[in-house]
Amino acid sequence: MTDAEAGDAESAPSEVDRAGDVWVFIEEHAGDVMSVSWELLTEGRRLADDLGDDLVALVIGEDVGDVADEAIARGADRVLVADDPVFEPYRADPYGTQFRALVEERIPSIVLIGGTHTGRDFAGRVAVPAHAGLTADVTELDVDEDGQLLARRPAFGGDVLATIVCPEHRPQMATVRAGVFETADPEPEREGDVEAVAVVVEEADALTEVRERDVSDTADITDADRIVAVGGGTEGELGPARALAEALDAELAASRKAVDEGWVDGARQVGQTGKTVRPELYVALGVSGAVQHVEGMNDSEVVVAVNDDPNAPIFEHADYGIVGDLFEVAPRLTTALEGEADPEEVLQ
Amino acid sequence: MSGAATDRDPAAGDAEDGWTIVAAVKQVPDSDEVGIDPDTGRLDRANAPAVLNAPDRDALEAALSIRDAVGGTVTAITMGPPTATDVLEEAVAMGCDDAALVTDRAFAGSDTWPTSYALAETVDHLDADVVVCGEETTDSSTGQVPPGIAAHNGWAQLTYVEGVDPLPEEGRLAARRDVEGGHERVAADLPVVVAVAYGEFEPRPAGLHRKLYAENDFEPMELTADDLGIDADDVGMDASPTQVGGMETVEPVDREKETVETPAELLDALADEGVIAR
Repeated sequence: MTDAEAGDAESAPSEVDRAGDVWVFIEEHAGDVMSVSWELLTEGRRLADDLGDDLVALVIGEDVGDVADEAIARGADRVLVADDPVFEPYRADPYGTQFRALVEERIPSIVLIGGTHTGRDFAGRVAVPAHAGLTADVTELDVDEDGQLLARRPAFGGDVLATIVCPEHRPQMATVRAGVFETADPEPEREGDVEAVAVVVEEADALTEVRERDVSDTADITDADRIVAVGGGTEGELGPARALAEALDAELAASRKAVDEGWVDGARQVGQTGKTVRPELYVALGVSGAVQHVEGMNDSEVVVAVNDDPNAPIFEHADYGIVGDLFEVAPRLTTALEGEADPEEVLQ
Repeated sequence: MSGAATDRDPAAGDAEDGWTIVAAVKQVPDSDEVGIDPDTGRLDRANAPAVLNAPDRDALEAALSIRDAVGGTVTAITMGPPTATDVLEEAVAMGCDDAALVTDRAFAGSDTWPTSYALAETVDHLDADVVVCGEETTDSSTGQVPPGIAAHNGWAQLTYVEGVDPLPEEGRLAARRDVEGGHERVAADLPVVVAVAYGEFEPRPAGLHRKLYAENDFEPMELTADDLGIDADDVGMDASPTQVGGMETVEPVDREKETVETPAELLDALADEGVIAR
């Protein structure tokens, strides 16, 4: 604390001084926890240890006792549980109101939320009324010598990494992109406290009603060792890409273009506003290689690009490139992988 | 400025008069033209032309389609300097009935907190039933302002919306939302803030007459902090919780950039790398 700050000691301590714990929101839908939540518990553990603070997991949902226990095994010192049918399925207003009440009552120092659609949906509903600082789409986290959170996020399509700080408001909140942090293995023998908090939301106050919900594609591309990614060049014809993915035992992923066109579900989007992946092998089929996409796959070990445009930027970010029609190249790769002679090479 | 649920306005979404729809848009530097100053390593935004944030075109289309279905008006709003009038003219050319420029020196340097506060006061001032925004802006990509507007006013919100279905007889708006791994259909009480998923609405072209009107005869209303009852201390840089602490350029990852001719050659290379068995 500087002298100038110490001079204010007679007034009530500021929220910055009163703030303590590191919180991680555990995103759960019908019992399934999003993997980014566990990634954030691992990263949050590191930050809490650096700061000498407690790591607190926040679980909101219905019948979420098992999730609370797992949060302790995965690094939480304490778990706050808001368990009520009003929270299932997820809605922004009940979640936001509950989360906000806890934040305002306990003033955590740091709050980390997975940058999923759900996390990005309600984070603002907490940060705004609490007048907290909220940084979006964070890919690196650190604390400085004063214990201030340094939240780094790509800006302008990933050419630049901006460090965002929040000097005078607490909590320091961030939505963090899925896949950028590793998940530590759970330690079942870890001990911690589970606290059932008062539920401050009633169904009668809800502003929204979920009438249908269809969540069928639960693939998690952030864990995949191999990925075949499709882009606009596939023109929505995904057969060859799917066959290649199967031959490689790879997950299918997509550029934003392929997701926006409705060819692939958004859960499989790589890059800004999507996920970060770090597979051993990343095969980009008909992906142009916009910086927003590259940002999400740049940590891949080996990158292969197939594109009929020799000037496509993706070749600048690939280890191996084939300039050619993916509708010819992908089936030949599949055939070769399946151990059969490539018909075109036999002819040569 | 409260996050608690507000009492519902009995006149909200009155089916007879149609709905008061507001589309919030932003002028941004053309992202294709933003370069990095080779001397300073800093972004050179000054030389990039200012354009309508592309996702906002989808928001305008969604707003106009709601008006097509239930009647009423669409007012485009933007917060920015007087030069941001250009994007409002574009909105009027597309079919918006009116437009408002939210402008004040006090707003300069606002992060998403004061921005959403000022816009929340604006849409409240305009008695909005529905506020439609783009998914995010191309210059800051936070997507935080639409939930921020809703939170400031204690209104419902629907984000990542791929389709809208007004229910005037219920005084509600239903929407198809893109959620992780699937979709859901949610009905929200009015007033509601909607953020539409980018690429899901086909923006209508501007009509020629409408375009001429927008460019030659139309003047947007102007709203200052004072008009909106906003204290200058509650907006701008000093009221912004977050600050940019630094910028660094990202070093490109070193790649082999090797061109291979045949699939067989590629598979050999991958086998040598040890990422596939051969």
